[in-house]
Amino acid sequence: MSVATLTKKILHAALFYEIWDAMKVTFRHMFHRPITFQYPREQRTLPDTHRGALSLLRYDDGRERCVGCDLCEAACPSRCIKVISAEDPTRPLQRYATEFYIDITKCVFCGYCVEACPVNALAMTKMYEFSTHDKRTLLFDKKRLYDIGERHLSDAKKYLYAHNQEKNVEESREYRYYFPQSVLKATQSTPKHLS
Amino acid sequence: MGLKPATNPDVEATSIELSIDGKTVVAKDGVSLYDVISSTGKIIPAMCYHYTFDPFGSCGMCLVMQEGKKAPVRSCTAKATAGMVIRTEGEDLFLARKKAVEKHLSVHPLDCPVCDADGHCELQDMAFQHGVTNLASAKQKFIPEDTRSLVLDFNMNRCIACAECINVCKDVLMIDALQFMKKGGFNQVVAKGDLPLSCEFCGDCLAVCPVGAITNKYSKYLYKPWQMKKTATTCNYCGDGCQLYLETKDSEVIRVTSPLSWKNKWGDREETAKGHGGLCVRGRFGFEYLDSKTRLTQPLVREGNQLVPKPWLEAMHQVVDRFTDVKQKHGADAIAGLITARCTNEELYLFQKLMRTVFGSNHLDSSARYGHMNFVHASRHALGFGRTPNDWEDLTKAKAILVIGSNITETNPLTAVRIKEAIRVYKAQVVVLDSTVTNIGKLASHPFLIKPGTEGWVIDGLVKATIDQDLVDENAISKHPKAYEALKAALANISLEQIATYTGISGDAYREISAIMAEVPRSIFLCAEGIVRRPDGYQNVLKLIDLAWITGKLGQPGCGVNTLTEEPNEQGAVDMGVAPEFLPGQGRYDDTAARDRFSKAWETTLPATATGANLMEILKRCKSGQIKALYVIGENPLATLPASVEVRSALERLELLVVQDPFLTDTGRQAHFVLPACTYAEKEGTFTNLEGRVLRVRQAMDPVGESLPDWHIMTALANALGAQWGYESANDIQTEIMKLLPGYYNLGQPRKVTPAPDQYLTNGYAAEVKTRYRATAPVTDAKRPFALVMGQLLVHSGKMSTEAPGLINIAPNTGKLRMNAGDMQRLGLQEGTKVRVTSERGSLQLGVQPDIAQAPNTCFFPEHFNEPPVKDLMAVQVDAVTGVPSFKHTWVSIEKA
Repeated sequence: MSVATLTKKILHAALFYEIWDAMKVTFRHMFHRPITFQYPREQRTLPDTHRGALSLLRYDDGRERCVGCDLCEAACPSRCIKVISAEDPTRPLQRYATEFYIDITKCVFCGYCVEACPVNALAMTKMYEFSTHDKRTLLFDKKRLYDIGERHLSDAKKYLYAHNQEKNVEESREYRYYFPQSVLKATQSTPKHLS
Repeated sequence: MGLKPATNPDVEATSIELSIDGKTVVAKDGVSLYDVISSTGKIIPAMCYHYTFDPFGSCGMCLVMQEGKKAPVRSCTAKATAGMVIRTEGEDLFLARKKAVEKHLSVHPLDCPVCDADGHCELQDMAFQHGVTNLASAKQKFIPEDTRSLVLDFNMNRCIACAECINVCKDVLMIDALQFMKKGGFNQVVAKGDLPLSCEFCGDCLAVCPVGAITNKYSKYLYKPWQMKKTATTCNYCGDGCQLYLETKDSEVIRVTSPLSWKNKWGDREETAKGHGGLCVRGRFGFEYLDSKTRLTQPLVREGNQLVPKPWLEAMHQVVDRFTDVKQKHGADAIAGLITARCTNEELYLFQKLMRTVFGSNHLDSSARYGHMNFVHASRHALGFGRTPNDWEDLTKAKAILVIGSNITETNPLTAVRIKEAIRVYKAQVVVLDSTVTNIGKLASHPFLIKPGTEGWVIDGLVKATIDQDLVDENAISKHPKAYEALKAALANISLEQIATYTGISGDAYREISAIMAEVPRSIFLCAEGIVRRPDGYQNVLKLIDLAWITGKLGQPGCGVNTLTEEPNEQGAVDMGVAPEFLPGQGRYDDTAARDRFSKAWETTLPATATGANLMEILKRCKSGQIKALYVIGENPLATLPASVEVRSALERLELLVVQDPFLTDTGRQAHFVLPACTYAEKEGTFTNLEGRVLRVRQAMDPVGESLPDWHIMTALANALGAQWGYESANDIQTEIMKLLPGYYNLGQPRKVTPAPDQYLTNGYAAEVKTRYRATAPVTDAKRPFALVMGQLLVHSGKMSTEAPGLINIAPNTGKLRMNAGDMQRLGLQEGTKVRVTSERGSLQLGVQPDIAQAPNTCFFPEHFNEPPVKDLMAVQVDAVTGVPSFKHTWVSIEKA
């Protein structure tokens, strides 16, 4: 070991050079613009295709889109959806989902259910905050899903648009299923929306 | 069914050879080409074809190329002929079939998401298979949905006009309730005359519909087919033992489906090999009692005047203490037991083992005592076996069938379908002798309306006519000339003309019937509730056996005397020895060899032979105080037997009444302990149906509430009483039965029984037959001109079906007496008019309603309902030999109240 390197080593040790060297990076960052988001206070802008919480949608006239066909349940790879359907007692021959559950703790956010839905009643939103004190509240029921749908309606519509599922209001009417009426008398005219 | 080979059971069709896709196939001449192709294992689509009826040929899917023809041919309507060269695959055929699917889809709404048939739809499958994605000219029908029927909805937007529903209704079931009607520019299926559907509601149209045009009201919109758990089990409504699929979701029964469906036209058709695989209204729509709200979910213990729910352990401890107490104080003979024939074979076996080995009492009986026992005793006595000799196939292929005292289409609808098939396909002659205008009578070639209560005299007349016309079979009587002489002598002072006046049908009719039954090669005698549930049932069955003997029909293939059972396992109850006179396997209880065998197997001594009491004797001894404790499983004597038997006071005298039932019955309300039992959907086991087939019962769902299977409760009870029973499942009991009764579990193929009448005809026949045929006139009472009959309705079975809201919805208790319209007019009665009905046992006030099934001077009330208590008008007559109580027929007077 030469004298010069020895001197350098002693000098470095005496002046805590390594610490100053490391602190250089720290001090340099004090003058940078921060890269991280201050998450709860700051929110990231998400792309329209983002697959967040699932929601149920209504038509413009307030009718539930869901016809309770169970296809989402069939498509779900993690089996987190449960649909129980029945005939609407107030409007005979109308099938609807009496109960609709999505266990969001099991959900893998694959979006297959949205693809499977024939009436575009399901959509994903940009909502992703699920933290709760009670795990049981993570079993979303029908009311909760419609609430999410109402609150994030524009996001849900953007999702459907971004995934080429639904273009606009006009086109969405085509997906709407109109149930037949029951026989009331021998000859009866076709309902208004069908003529 | 279908395009049948140019044959009947007597003549074998010629075999022909044809080539299918380059392979040589052997087939019967004249059958449908589609059947030949599908028998080779090939699946070619067909939406309007089902082998149970004649081909209709409307869907245009079953196209095949035949050599020598330019265009594809429809294989369903084409007959297989020798030397055909057939190609079933190829690009051209694929495109032709695709065109047909597109044609159907273009007028079919694409509402699969809300359609109940989604996932079980032939059109959907075909569209998927043929890759139909774009429809050039789709059209919607906009037909309103017909929801007027009680059980089915008709959505004719989805109909593809395949006519399977119409064909199955007309051809197989011979009900003919549906038709095509041109409405709104489309051919639609409507109920006859475009009225609300009102038929037998068997739902076979629903089963064969390849799309969702006909939907089940009970399960509409609830679940998709793939979401439900499907369990193949045996129906527990009647003795037919139909196989059915219980479709459940968690602890809920959603619907019942049949093996019959549009799907089973392919492959080996194993599911529908025995019969057509359909169901009746009870089987298909009567499932709601299984998960009913009224089911018992907890043991109930009497505290004062009330039944209080208690935990199992506490209730069982008390039951065991009380049984031990009774046994110590009054001996084993103070304990008796009754069990219903709706239990499985394993439970019936366990019940008699419990009674005989643990309680040490031979007082036990089952509900087979209400009628089937008459047949069993008669058949055992004369022929050596206690069951029916013929199966469904024999019925189908019979040349002549004599149906006496049986409303078969109502009591055993699927056995009736076998007779309908015999009529339609094999042109059988069917003689129906009944005092009501039965459904089978309308289809029969020789229907006769007899005077009520004269079934016995009718058989006398038939025997007499056979002998008079010398229609006897020389071979049969030459073996037993003495017996024949005795029979002849017994009938000597009976004249046919006299009998004709008693019974209301002419002497010529008797001659004609006996000629039919004697001359054809395969004739079947069928007697049911009109014989076995009436006075002299035992003797009347023996008379029928006499008739079969002298016409040479005993032991001939496809011939015999048969009966029908009302409950699913009446035959099993007899076979399992649930009767004081029988051991398992129908060995006589006083037979020393059989007793030794079972006492060795059970490692105990059996109770003494002389003491055993049957149903009526048990009730009598309860009343007299000899029997102190009664263990009732599923039976309900209080609601079944007339008030004159005084069941209530008999039960009140008991120190201990334990009732084990899925529901709180009338008898259960009198009980000290009510233990909740499972229905057949919640347990494993087997039923023995009326043919002797042993059929599996499989568990479809978890027990409701805290209820337990009957065998489980019995095992627990036995072990608490000191026995060492190690049964952990119904299978363990089955293993024990298999050891004791080898060959009993016959896997759906009952052993053929051969009648052995020699013993009977040589020993004491002469003395017996002398008393059997009497020249006395039937008892009539000028003051009481009307015959009141209690019987079964198509929609109900016993009291159990009244717990099913769906069935009650179809056939509610009208509380009215059903009368002939002519009689009503004569007495000046309108529908609903109150009348006073008086029998020798009492009188009752109730409304009337007209019923086209009632003959003049007869009236009817369903036995399923006790409101008003019409059963209390009945007099009870107990058969001296078999102990069967008969209380379904009496004479009444009717006057305006």
